[in-house]
Amino acid sequence: MVSATGVRALIDERGAEFEGYTFGFLDDMAKREIRRTILKAVAIPGHQVPFGSREMPIARGWGTGGLQITLACVGADDTIKVIDQGDDASVNAVNLRRLIAKTTGARETLTTGEATLIQSRHRIPEERMTAAQILILQVPIPEPLRHVERSVASARAMHAEADYARMWLALYEDVVRNGEVTAGAGYPVMVNGRFVMAPSPIPRWDIPKLNQADTLFLFGAGREKRIYAVPPFTNVQPLEFDDYPFEIEAFPNMSCRRCGATDSYLVTSPQADGGTLSVCSDTSYCDDVLAGRKVENQW
Amino acid sequence: MVEPLLRVRDLTKIYSGKGHHIVACEDVSFDVYPGEVLGIVGESGSGKSTVLQCLFQDVVPTSGAAYLTSFHEGERNMFEADRRERRELRTHRMSMVYQNPRQGLNLMVTAGGNVAERLLAADWRRVSDIRAKASDYLVRTEVPIERMDDFPAFFSGGMQQRVQIAKALANSPELVLLDELTTGLDVSVQAGVLDLVRDIQSRYGVTAIIVSHDLGVIRLLADRTLVMKDGHVVESGLTDQILEDPQHPYTQLLVNCVTN
Ligand SMILES: Nc1ncnc2c1ncn2[C@@H]1O[C@H](COP(=O)(O)OP(=O)(O)OP(=O)(O)O)[C@@H](O)[C@H]1O
Ligand SMILES: [Mg+2]
Ligand SMILES: [Zn+2]
Repeated sequence: MVSATGVRALIDERGAEFEGYTFGFLDDMAKREIRRTILKAVAIPGHQVPFGSREMPIARGWGTGGLQITLACVGADDTIKVIDQGDDASVNAVNLRRLIAKTTGARETLTTGEATLIQSRHRIPEERMTAAQILILQVPIPEPLRHVERSVASARAMHAEADYARMWLALYEDVVRNGEVTAGAGYPVMVNGRFVMAPSPIPRWDIPKLNQADTLFLFGAGREKRIYAVPPFTNVQPLEFDDYPFEIEAFPNMSCRRCGATDSYLVTSPQADGGTLSVCSDTSYCDDVLAGRKVENQW
Repeated sequence: MVEPLLRVRDLTKIYSGKGHHIVACEDVSFDVYPGEVLGIVGESGSGKSTVLQCLFQDVVPTSGAAYLTSFHEGERNMFEADRRERRELRTHRMSMVYQNPRQGLNLMVTAGGNVAERLLAADWRRVSDIRAKASDYLVRTEVPIERMDDFPAFFSGGMQQRVQIAKALANSPELVLLDELTTGLDVSVQAGVLDLVRDIQSRYGVTAIIVSHDLGVIRLLADRTLVMKDGHVVESGLTDQILEDPQHPYTQLLVNCVTN
């Protein structure tokens, strides 16, 4: 975080770019409220804390929750990375990154290892994140009980009482009907043995990364006005039955067509010639492997 | 001396309408002993269901107390339970079979799932164990096992009722509350459900309160009986005694109606 005089100096220095905006776009009261909400969220891992989501210069549903957290946390000396489904180059990721950099003077990067703050949609980077980094995940639907309890008040009461029988029942019915728990993106997890949490629509592949990590994970849902967190070294367990254990996606006999990696989450797209193309979902990781850089990817 | 499993004292429920009050039940007191079936009989509107709804905490009583031996050693009024304790009471210690199976079942969930819900609430986490237990109870309640993974929305009323009974018994609650369990069923189906409950009772010694406006049902199932009229208990005793030698004029009327 940058000091007040630091901000002043920065604004003087880059006055043209900041014109008409406060540092980090949000006003100080908004930032203060969001930071307070983050502290609460960290204090109660997995618990959704309401906050007064602000109007942002992007549409709700495009990462406004994540963006508000990022803007409330970022300092001028931070290095930021924004990824959309693993990709730094998507229009949405580029726009968000530009907005953050422009209103704060923070450095931009595409490389996971260089970033201090990473805002992400639908992925956790393959490269193992460190205690010096924060991952901010954009969340469309923060309530994991949404599909078993439509009433918001009842769902809250269920969280308060740790009454998750209905959630388990939905998983049981899934197993009976489909022979397995079919939940793919956003597999429900139990945080710190207490709260069932929606980990945002990350693939199963990324779920184990949440458990006992070095990194702080912050989750922001702008439209639903909720912030929650998984602090470092917190137990995060996917909901699973003893005889139907949780499994991550498998890519048998597959590797990235671009970098050759066999240890990353692959996305497969159909090709004009009728074949398919599988490449790393995480473009930073793919670039690193391609360039022969050594990457610590064991989460 | 055997201690009662449940003691109910001065249970009163008053519904407040516009400028008037409906006394659904007033100063109802009774004990239920382990392994016995207590019957509550009375005409429509006499307050029978209200008593069960209060005990199962579906409605909040106006005054009175109920003590369950396993709840704070029977020393705390279970009407003063907090939310968490209330859920504990409803999912582990007591169960309710509603007159309308739609109230007691989740029709969007399979028959097996309905039974499984109580087991999941009790932290069962192995699907094969859950299914073994659920199918065991569905078999006991004569629900064809091949219907286990079907939705009860498409079952007959009698079979829905049997699924409800399986669900109510699945995690061996201390006390089962049964409200008019045969009302609304065909006479032929009624007999089957009654036989089933009697069989389960004699084999497993379930403690139950069974509410009915039908003295025939009470005669078949209840060891002791309360007779209710206008929200009050007017007579209580062994079922046989009440049937043979009714004391209160209302009970006499009731018994005469049945025997004649
Ligand atoms: N939610 C309610 N609001 C107002 N009055 C109610 C409510 N529920 C029950 N009552 C009234 O309380 C009285 C007792 O009702 P209750 O349902 O307990 O009777 P019952 O003996 O179960 O009758 P039945 O045999 O018809 O089921 C009735 O006069 C009824 O109209
Ligand atoms: Mg009734
Ligand atoms: Zn690659």
